[in-house]
Amino acid sequence: MKYLNQPIEEIHKLLKAKKIKPIDLVEEAFDNIEKSDCNAYITLNKEEALKEAKELESLPVDNILFGLPIAVKDNIVTKNLRTTCASHMLENFIPIYNATVVEKIKEKHMIIIGKTNMDEFAMGSSSRTSYFGAPHNPWNKDKISGGSSGGSASTIAARDVLFALGSDTGGSIRQPASYTGIVGMKPTYGRVSRYGLVAFASSLDQIGPMTKNVYENALLLNAIVGHDEKDLTSAKKEEEDFTKLIGKSIKGKKIAIPNYFVSDIVDDEIIDKIKETEKTLEKLGAKVDYIDMKYLEHAVTLYQIIAMGEASSNLARFDGIRYGHSKENPKDIRDLYFGTRAEGFGKEVKRRIMVGSYLLSGENAREYFYKALSIRDDMKQEFKNVFKDYDYIIGPTTTTTAYLLTDPMDDPSKSFMDDVLVIPVNMAGLPGLNIPIGFDKNHMPIGMQIIANSFEEAKIYSLASALEKELNLDLNPYGGEKNE
Amino acid sequence: MKEKLTKEEVLHVAELARIAVTEEEIKKYQVELKKLLNDVEKINDVKGYDDEILIAPWSNNTELRKDEPREMLDPKKVLENAPRHSGNYIQVPVVIGESEGA
Amino acid sequence: MSNYIATIGVEVHVELKTKTKIFSSSENGYGQMANSLTNVIDLGYPGTLPTLNEEVLNLAIKAATVLNCKIRREMHFDRKNYFYPDNPKNYQITQFATPIGYDGYVEIEVDGEKKKVYIEEMHIEEDTCKSTHRGEKTLLDFNRAGVPLIEIVTKPCMTTSKEAKAYLEKLRELLFYSDISDCKMEEGSMRADANVSIRKKESDPFGTKAEIKNIGSISNVGLSIEKEIERQAKIYDAGDTFKPQTRRFDDKLGDTVLMRVKETGNDYRYFPEPDIPFVIVTEERIDSVRKTIPMLPDERREKYLSLGVSEINTKKLIQNRSLSDYFNNLLEEKISHQTASNLLLGDISAYLNKKEKEITDTTLSKERFIELVNLIDNNTLTSKNLKEILEVILESDKSIQTIMKEQGIENITDDAEIREVIKKIIKANPESVTDYQNGHDRAIKFLMGQVMKETKGKANPKMANDILKEELQ
Repeated sequence: MKYLNQPIEEIHKLLKAKKIKPIDLVEEAFDNIEKSDCNAYITLNKEEALKEAKELESLPVDNILFGLPIAVKDNIVTKNLRTTCASHMLENFIPIYNATVVEKIKEKHMIIIGKTNMDEFAMGSSSRTSYFGAPHNPWNKDKISGGSSGGSASTIAARDVLFALGSDTGGSIRQPASYTGIVGMKPTYGRVSRYGLVAFASSLDQIGPMTKNVYENALLLNAIVGHDEKDLTSAKKEEEDFTKLIGKSIKGKKIAIPNYFVSDIVDDEIIDKIKETEKTLEKLGAKVDYIDMKYLEHAVTLYQIIAMGEASSNLARFDGIRYGHSKENPKDIRDLYFGTRAEGFGKEVKRRIMVGSYLLSGENAREYFYKALSIRDDMKQEFKNVFKDYDYIIGPTTTTTAYLLTDPMDDPSKSFMDDVLVIPVNMAGLPGLNIPIGFDKNHMPIGMQIIANSFEEAKIYSLASALEKELNLDLNPYGGEKNE
Repeated sequence: MKEKLTKEEVLHVAELARIAVTEEEIKKYQVELKKLLNDVEKINDVKGYDDEILIAPWSNNTELRKDEPREMLDPKKVLENAPRHSGNYIQVPVVIGESEGA
Repeated sequence: MSNYIATIGVEVHVELKTKTKIFSSSENGYGQMANSLTNVIDLGYPGTLPTLNEEVLNLAIKAATVLNCKIRREMHFDRKNYFYPDNPKNYQITQFATPIGYDGYVEIEVDGEKKKVYIEEMHIEEDTCKSTHRGEKTLLDFNRAGVPLIEIVTKPCMTTSKEAKAYLEKLRELLFYSDISDCKMEEGSMRADANVSIRKKESDPFGTKAEIKNIGSISNVGLSIEKEIERQAKIYDAGDTFKPQTRRFDDKLGDTVLMRVKETGNDYRYFPEPDIPFVIVTEERIDSVRKTIPMLPDERREKYLSLGVSEINTKKLIQNRSLSDYFNNLLEEKISHQTASNLLLGDISAYLNKKEKEITDTTLSKERFIELVNLIDNNTLTSKNLKEILEVILESDKSIQTIMKEQGIENITDDAEIREVIKKIIKANPESVTDYQNGHDRAIKFLMGQVMKETKGKANPKMANDILKEELQ
């Protein structure tokens, strides 16, 4: 008997009525993972998950997430559970503390079943920079599941589990969600505590929920948000229920599509799908305009400078002294540094650290880094101005659908260009969500990005759920998930 | 625009990053790093912005922590993940010269 | 000395007296077991983030205020990136672009002349961990990692080692008095670097700079500057030049030695710390911090002298912070402040030292101290008697007069009663009277002794002396 493919309320009812136990769900999840065989996980937490599930049997089923398995991206630290960041550098690293989000999901009595595969230190767009090999896309196992949260996207798309956490620095939740036909939310910067998220680019990173549908996504976001005194960039906001606007009419909502988002950088097939969706939205009573935005096309450049600059500093701590990989028998301290880092980091990471160091060195800091921070401020302002007139900005999430795992990786700019449409949201710190809107001719998912003003996640879920209901797509790669 | 960095330029950034590079890697980096550096040159195409900088997109006034001690790590825990230690200390190969910082 | 003009600037790191570290809630402590005062933040564990200790901000504002600095109202922190084993994240969180204090000064006095030493800036940063070198290995203790520091940088405005020393003395006095730091150079809670260059004439460009790092005491700062000026002068005199360099002072050699020649500027790759986007310093905070600043040494000095306290007592009082604070409570009282200072620095200090106590640990309330000063001043209590009853005075609540009575110390201050005794003694000792009249001063001592004997030591000695002289006329 399968339970994890049922609506969440149904599972909750069964748990509450003691018709099923958390351990049934955990066992089913591990079974699913094995069958899916997508290399979505770096570490499975089988023994501990089963033990926790047993322990939960004596507790009251006090919330809708109780007893549900969850997959956690492997750059979110979990006490006593190996956290590798998909890097040889941390291949054997056992954290001694929990990330704040981990504490939060544990408070809800969710069960961590494993740590998901990703690009090394979240640097990449296809999860192929993982030291542990890339995860596969359940829609076509020869294709990428995107990145950097590729493992989380893959396991949700494959219907292994209901919930996964990802992190998004330059699209790393939304882009893989788009490639795998799932719902992925990057919350407003400051919404979710970053404490315990291994930093890639501190001013861009944000943890977010990845699920198969909008409602479950909002439920998981409810569980992980909140001000954290351990993270000075976490925002103090009143508690809210992110499901509150789900099912509400979107009549009269004003939506903007930036012309850049439907320019020739995007595949025709995807533009066509966006235009179709535009019609659907209008049918639902929304008003759609095309607008010009000056800074969007520069977002990737700013991102390269800021993300690589910050990363070069954030990853300096991996030196083989206090934790992680360390060069054997170093001759001297220099050998320890150079050897450890040459052995521990993969190609993509090394490239970004080197370029980032260069961009901050000497006069370059002014020429590139500070300039990027200045333009970033203007870019944020531009978004703010658009939201004076519009409720939402929408556009495609990706320029293509998922490509082959065997496609060449030697162009160092490629991984940035894959994220050209999703990066602007991180630059401005806005919330953005991917919602599947259809398929290409090869039946690979196409996603749409919904962006709203800061801290308007509930509003995003409202539009996304309206569309989800209207489109009624079968988003299970193995079929059978369309509502009758 | 140049197609490649010089070998010295690669060695300089590898030095900043504290990453050992082989001769073969240097050849690759000469091209790859240059490609990325050419990308970021595009920042000079952006015009008409003001000087105000954005350090992080959510900038409430920093909340300050009360000066009250909280739980600390057992010294044994400190050593748990350290590849080399001696007594209660974390160990590294001998360092010659003083710290460059504080 | 040499016929060169020296240009000297000083950089001082001071550890702040807080309970916890700057960016984590681990204890800020000294001399504890290695690696016992740390948490994952101090160790730079992946995923950790800094928080900012409120007390650090307050103490930095306090320091900026006593150093007459302007205070920045909106600031951020920066990362200083460099690899070193004592630097857990391989970047140090500091303030580069927006130091909290700037454009300040400290007033010093050298050879009777007053001078201002200008402060370029002062900023907040974190300390590194402590490394100990043992043969082939270096041992790291992270207890010090993240201890809050302020770094105070002067303009290159000093010209002699005396000025540099006077500046450091003054700085130490100010920071210690304001409870900002212990300022113990021997424990490293205050560390000084000196920048020295020399040139022939004011109109010449500045000479090549040498930085002397981490000098262990104020006197060694003076010595190392003198040695450095000498060394540079010798080089120039020989027609040679030298490269900018970092040196250290070697205690045993009593001279500076080369550490490294500076390369083309260290590349610290500073950029704004995104984990602490910005900090607002409010007027309310500045005001409330100002209120916690005690009276500073210069003001104390001026007040004490104006109240008739001797130079030497003034100096000694200021050297003893707790006595000086105690004394400050008495400034408005109509008493002899010189007597009060004598008492504090004399018998009371002796008692405190013996018992290893602070004045605030004794029972000596302000009221009782005033009573004591007055009793001494009008000779009701002799210093000999004081010594007998001091312990009781400092350990009980009773009034001084009561204690005197209980201890049988009565002072006859009645003129008639003393005069009667004196008349009797004069009558009984005609030879001594004659001796006195013939100019033998010793005789009066003998007669006084007789008076004290007769009154069992209770006659007020000053009165007895005065009356005796009168009666002998």
